[in-house]
Amino acid sequence: MSDIGRLAIVLGFIVAIWGIVASVAGALRRDDDLVASGSHAAYAFSALVGIAVAALLYLLLTHDFNVEYVSAYSSSTLPVWYTIAALWGGMKGSLLWWTFILAVCNAIVQFQNRDKNRDAMPWVTAVLLMVGAFFLSLLVFITNPFERLSFTPAEGSDLNPLLQNYWMTIHPPSLYIGFVTTTVPFAFAIAALATGKLGDTWIRTTRRWAIFSWFFLTLGNLFGAAWAYVVLGWGGYWAWDPVENAAFMPWLTATAFLHSVTIQEKKDMLKVWNMVLVILTFALTIFGTFLTRSGVISSVHSFTQSGLGPFFMGFLLAMLALSLGLLVWRLPLLKSRNELESVFSREAAFLLNNLALVGIAFTVFWGTVFPVISEWVRGVKITVGPPFFNRVNAPLALALVFLMGVGPVIAWRRASWQSLQRSFLWPVLVGLSVGALALAQAGGNYYAVVAFSFAAFALTTVWTEFWRGMRVRQAMLGEKPWTALSRLIGKNRRRYGGYIVHVGTAMVFVGIVASSVFKVEVQKGLEPGGTVSIGRYTLRYDGVRTESDAHVDKTLAQIAVSRDGEPIATLEPEKRFYKKPKQPTTEVAIWSTLGADLYVVLGSYDPPTKSAVIQVFVNPLISWMWIGGVVMALGTAVCMWPSWSEQMSTVAAGVPSGTRTAS
Amino acid sequence: MNRTFPRSRSRREFLGTVLGTAAVVSAFPALAAETPASQVAIESGLTCQCGCGLTVHSCNHLNCGSGIPLKKEIAERIALGGSEEEIVGYFQTKYGEKILSSPTTTGFNLAAWTVPFIAIGLGGGLVGWVLTRWRRSGAAAAADAQVADVEDPTRRARIEAALDDWDKRS
Repeated sequence: MSDIGRLAIVLGFIVAIWGIVASVAGALRRDDDLVASGSHAAYAFSALVGIAVAALLYLLLTHDFNVEYVSAYSSSTLPVWYTIAALWGGMKGSLLWWTFILAVCNAIVQFQNRDKNRDAMPWVTAVLLMVGAFFLSLLVFITNPFERLSFTPAEGSDLNPLLQNYWMTIHPPSLYIGFVTTTVPFAFAIAALATGKLGDTWIRTTRRWAIFSWFFLTLGNLFGAAWAYVVLGWGGYWAWDPVENAAFMPWLTATAFLHSVTIQEKKDMLKVWNMVLVILTFALTIFGTFLTRSGVISSVHSFTQSGLGPFFMGFLLAMLALSLGLLVWRLPLLKSRNELESVFSREAAFLLNNLALVGIAFTVFWGTVFPVISEWVRGVKITVGPPFFNRVNAPLALALVFLMGVGPVIAWRRASWQSLQRSFLWPVLVGLSVGALALAQAGGNYYAVVAFSFAAFALTTVWTEFWRGMRVRQAMLGEKPWTALSRLIGKNRRRYGGYIVHVGTAMVFVGIVASSVFKVEVQKGLEPGGTVSIGRYTLRYDGVRTESDAHVDKTLAQIAVSRDGEPIATLEPEKRFYKKPKQPTTEVAIWSTLGADLYVVLGSYDPPTKSAVIQVFVNPLISWMWIGGVVMALGTAVCMWPSWSEQMSTVAAGVPSGTRTAS
Repeated sequence: MNRTFPRSRSRREFLGTVLGTAAVVSAFPALAAETPASQVAIESGLTCQCGCGLTVHSCNHLNCGSGIPLKKEIAERIALGGSEEEIVGYFQTKYGEKILSSPTTTGFNLAAWTVPFIAIGLGGGLVGWVLTRWRRSGAAAAADAQVADVEDPTRRARIEAALDDWDKRS
């Protein structure tokens, strides 16, 4: 099976190269046969990479430890689900997995555009295959996932225990899907530049891909945060690790793109800027992969480090040179209308929103690479850790949340004083009221006060939008509230889906601020029967129990929890001792409510005395983060969901979607 | 402005929102950190040297060879009466700058703190310049066109509803 896998990636690479040559030659010569051959090569590439993934998965599931990758990242006692996750648990497998996602996207793009975008498609195919060929070239020439050992070990070394968690089975695939799907808008942007057809077609064609990509980047980041929260056991979820930053930066620029592209669609403005954002987002995904695999910057994600860094850097620079070169060449064709009637307009608010998002992305980039710059310039190693990122990004995040409240309701073109009053009276009043309440509760923490105030302002603007729209439908059409609401959303999914995303974002923001600013913790060594108190909670340590199987030994502390004197739960924070490799991990126990999480960690346990060190955190409003994430996902799904009328109009008349709305 | 719902209802909503938020804000546990503040501050200002990337305060790795001794040493130095500045300075001398969890604000390190704000300032200047330029060219167009404020949600929903009504009738 390893030979089949190896053959598939070698053939896949050859097919990809042919696809690139045929597509480009076909586009330049206007030779339909060559273009068709390029498209067929894309399908063949997808099939071959699919075969390679299936082969590696087969080898993992059959525990063929003669294959170096299988031996290094799985074992016969590893549960099946984590054996599947081992596919992306190591560097070689993750590269193959990345290529597979790209190959699937490529096949979907080919199928979706089989009868349309014919001028652009050869270039789209060439770009997608170019990226695919690069990844496969690493697997063919440098790091072979099907490499066999000269002997067969009796047992595998197993998957890193930190990865043996359910969040890790979905976090990397989500993030990879988010990363890889940015290639589709990028490929269409390059195609638009190459063909000189720089109207809105490429944007309309890739709109759902861009939202889809953003959706998975959002999920990937949130799943990663959830993994850190439940596995690393330090009471937090985001440590500004370079690789976390690498996943966050494309999310920021993709968010900026989703906003600024609206201006291009509605007002024919910002054409160059949108191109820059698409290129930047794609480049940042490759930069993120470079960071993960180069080892140039110290990171907790070191399990995927290798000597591949220079190849990624070379590819990144080549793609940047190509795309920016094309952009400069086509600048004369990218002239926009660029007219603005007033700075009190949605156009201006969106520009400021882009400034804040790209500003945060730059800050994160700067903080991530500054240790390397410092070492180059001064020869001194320094650390740029959470205090830096929190301090520098805090004012920008506040500005962003404020603009999130302004953007949706301020008028296009020019907002009159009356419309500003009408739109912002209640949001401002609610924002100020919440600010006053927060001031009374939070005391001198002015950042938190302003943050809650702005979040309330942003939430109220969205509430106002829904409420007014719903009431009008009820008054004019006699619809029931739920019908009015669902039809209001259904009539303009993109707008109201976006508002739902804003609600989720505000909730995540509130969760982050509250859990960062008001987090409290205590650590205490306890004998059985000993107690520790924190806030309204009292925790009694009742000793430990143990569990053991062929894979792992577990020590579970028994913690009886009471709140205000009332027993509420028994929690079992664990220490796990994995047998292959011999490595301890922490499994926290969490009592979660809407108001706060009680987060309990078994720090250490001393068998002779049966005493344990218990660490307890109270993280206020952290569940708002996870609920906010679900709301964001829901809003994005609403944005992406095709409406029946839209499908019909597209099928029947080729009319661009979303034409019959009042906005 | 056309109101399509009673004023008293909107007041109720407002009060509901405020009271709801008050309940949430009140839910914050009025707690004080139980570890001495100075120790938390010092631990948060230093990076654990075990490679986890966390601050000394956040690192809770089992038997961590760096975090645990560092925490112990910080506590001892606090007990001996050392100030926060002295203790951080001591560790910086002992381990080098890499132990600080964020760059200092002197010399080349100042660039870490200032460059983001300079870049955003320049970006802001650019946005301001662009807006001014576009506004000039947009002023002429504005003179010819009356702004139809369809962004008012009430107005927009009216149009949507009217279109739906038309669909039903035709």
